[in-house]
Amino acid sequence: MDGLGGYVLRRLLFLPVTLLIVSFATFYITRWGPGDPVRVAAGAGFSDPEALERVRHKYGLDKPIIEQYGVWVRDVTLHGDFGPSYRYRDRTIGEVLGPKIWVSFRLGLYAFILTFLIGIPVGMFAAVKQGTWLDPFAIGSFLFFQSIPVLVTVPMMVLIFAAKLHWLPAGGFDGMFSKSMVIPTLTLTMPGVAGIARLARATMLGTLGEDFVRTARAKGLNEFTVIVHHVARNSLLPVMTTVVGLSLVGLIEGAFFTETLLGIPGVGKFIFDSVNGRDYNVILAVVLMLTAAFVIANLLVDIALVVIDPRIRGNRTGAA
Amino acid sequence: MSNKLTLGILGVVAAGIIALAVVLIVVVAGGGGDKKSATTGSDTPTASGTKTSGSGTTTKAASGELRLRGDDPLFLDPAVAQDAGSALYIVEIFSGLERLDKDLKIQPDVAESYDVSPDGKTYTFHLNKKATYQDGRPVSADDVKYSWERALNPDTGSVTAENFLGDIVGAKDVSRGRATTISGLKIIDDTTIAVTLDAPKPYFLYKLTYPTAFLVDKRQIESNPKRWTQKPNGTGPYKLKEWKLGERIVLEAYANSHRGPPKLNTVRYNLSGGSSLVAYEDGDIDVTGVGLDDLDRIQDPNDKLHAEYTTTPRQSIDYIGFNTNVPPFDDPKVRQAFAMAVDRKKIAEVVLKGAIPVANGILAPGVPGATADDKTKPYDPEAAKKLLAESKYAGKLPPITLAESGAGATVGPTEEAIIQFWKDNLGVEVKIQQAESATFFSDIDQGRYQMFHLGWIMDYPDPEDVLDVLFYSKSKQNNSRYSNPVVDQKLEAARIERDTEKRLALYRDVEKTLIDDAAWIPMFFDTTHALIKPYVKNFTFAPTIVERFHDVEVNR
Repeated sequence: MDGLGGYVLRRLLFLPVTLLIVSFATFYITRWGPGDPVRVAAGAGFSDPEALERVRHKYGLDKPIIEQYGVWVRDVTLHGDFGPSYRYRDRTIGEVLGPKIWVSFRLGLYAFILTFLIGIPVGMFAAVKQGTWLDPFAIGSFLFFQSIPVLVTVPMMVLIFAAKLHWLPAGGFDGMFSKSMVIPTLTLTMPGVAGIARLARATMLGTLGEDFVRTARAKGLNEFTVIVHHVARNSLLPVMTTVVGLSLVGLIEGAFFTETLLGIPGVGKFIFDSVNGRDYNVILAVVLMLTAAFVIANLLVDIALVVIDPRIRGNRTGAA
Repeated sequence: MSNKLTLGILGVVAAGIIALAVVLIVVVAGGGGDKKSATTGSDTPTASGTKTSGSGTTTKAASGELRLRGDDPLFLDPAVAQDAGSALYIVEIFSGLERLDKDLKIQPDVAESYDVSPDGKTYTFHLNKKATYQDGRPVSADDVKYSWERALNPDTGSVTAENFLGDIVGAKDVSRGRATTISGLKIIDDTTIAVTLDAPKPYFLYKLTYPTAFLVDKRQIESNPKRWTQKPNGTGPYKLKEWKLGERIVLEAYANSHRGPPKLNTVRYNLSGGSSLVAYEDGDIDVTGVGLDDLDRIQDPNDKLHAEYTTTPRQSIDYIGFNTNVPPFDDPKVRQAFAMAVDRKKIAEVVLKGAIPVANGILAPGVPGATADDKTKPYDPEAAKKLLAESKYAGKLPPITLAESGAGATVGPTEEAIIQFWKDNLGVEVKIQQAESATFFSDIDQGRYQMFHLGWIMDYPDPEDVLDVLFYSKSKQNNSRYSNPVVDQKLEAARIERDTEKRLALYRDVEKTLIDDAAWIPMFFDTTHALIKPYVKNFTFAPTIVERFHDVEVNR
């Protein structure tokens, strides 16, 4: 595993470079755009330009962008300080963001598990049934759910289950073991199943025609063993490891529409509010967090693939 | 393909779906013993005792707890906060020398009385000797001085301080960093402080009712400068007992309040969203606002909720503003034509379902000087057409855009209706441009819009707060760039006119001129629609944000 260790180390060394590039781009773009946190907070009420300018001065927002960026990089690297939130002024970004991530994570966890738990078997089923009506039927029925936007499903479910039947709360988040999880879990699960199922189906089909499958069948193995042990393990496992690994990032990304419509205080809604409020430092911190999470998830997926499939090792470590 | 395989895969699919079903059932059935919410209890008070909320934690439902829906405040520093969301909590936790009651009359608060000098420039406040911070420390004149000087200090970062305290002699020296003490403040003894103004301004007391002028605790701020707002020590009737971001805020009565002990023990805000009307019907909260979509049902006298329905006018106005500097709205005739071509009554009836009143002027009802008669331009398509034909842009109107704040791609039905009237009655196609709020306000400041749809909420009930702030030619907030020497002169006179009747007459004149000149199209005033449980007593919605829990009783 020596080669792998070096590979991981090299990849990790690139992380700060990636973050620096991403942070500069984000820093510049957000501050370049119209409006600023001081003006938007003043709204229609208190827009005396001189008073606003004094507040900008206090936060250093009146300096050239490049100078502000220098200060920011210095504070982050030397003090681990990502700067103040311009909206929540007495809280650190971690304090405000932490609970939101925790909410989004718990909100998305069931859906994350269920999407794969349903999607993979459906895809396998469809692949095995290729050429029969069951193949398009299986995929098609989940495509139906995928094609209904969350903007439609959420209000519909709220109307039926909360407003009419009073079975479920109309929104909010009361923890993972509460009725408030039902609507978000359904809305987040159903549209994702078709994508996973189609991927699983395509991967399976690609492998079903391989020589070793024919050999396995010729050996007289029963079809179940062939599909599960030979086809699925060789093709489905690596592909799904990649997809599952990268989808993990989605758990901390939040679900903007679902959260907004149901009034759930998660990351998705928070990012939207932060952008609207021009809370520069918060936007930046969120972008960097997601960038880092994505880079690390990628790396973990690569490592997992090597562990699962030794054939990959030579290629990867050699290329890196 | 073997049957075994098909069965196997089907089995796995079924297992997945069953897993989903099981999770949902477990979640639904075991939802923390959430009470069955079949239409019970919405108009009959539920038996007192314990009741469980959705999370399964036991909520104390003893009499004396008011349960509401709310949002996280951004920042509980009264000197800095400028959003209504934070102000709602600030007015309960903190207080100032004077306060507004629910009818917007000035009432003594930390100051039990005041004297005004004959020239109207010096106010001497006598502090209530019983007034204490919530940690028990008595309030002194030094605390007043500290709180105001801190609010003005540039390091505090307050946008509002100069607005509300800037009339005090020397206050602007502090806000602009030229001094650290306000020269116009004089401490006479421990509980007496004299305040000298730069001119005899009758609206000064109103400004003291705004959070910017509230009292903060010097010791607490100096010992914990960055975080004191998370557990503030104010002089208001309620202490901030608990604040869990995104989950809940609990206010607890401060029994030694100089206004007497609050009748309510705690106020509990649930901060995690969802439809508050459903929560209200389920008996989880005691008060809720009602949106436009549910209004029809609630207003039906046969609906079981109708008896709990209440409305309160709010002191705010929705308007179409013109940039009076740019074509075609630099010609008053064009503005007048646009104003007279919109049937606001129809829009209020059809689109807004009669939920809010058509504005009869610029001053909302309850603002001193406001009159009941309709001062606005009547809906008259013929006259409008004629005015447009007489204008200097007749037959050569430039393209016109109405700007509004909004993040969505869809235009609101009110705007749709407005531009339809202009199209039908004037034959003018007006485009709508939406911008999210940061862009919108930045563009308004720079005078980039020809016409915009906006609202104004009164900070205190004095006509100065809208007429002078928005229409005085040199006001920095004059976003319609309106400039009229006659109006300016009357506004200047009204600022220092000490005869109330004469002063209000000046403002009424200004209002009339502004409407005749069509500097704005005043569209609608605002109304709060709400439901209050019958076991909640003395709960009122005020026309602006004022302290309102002190006298509330809950007998569940």
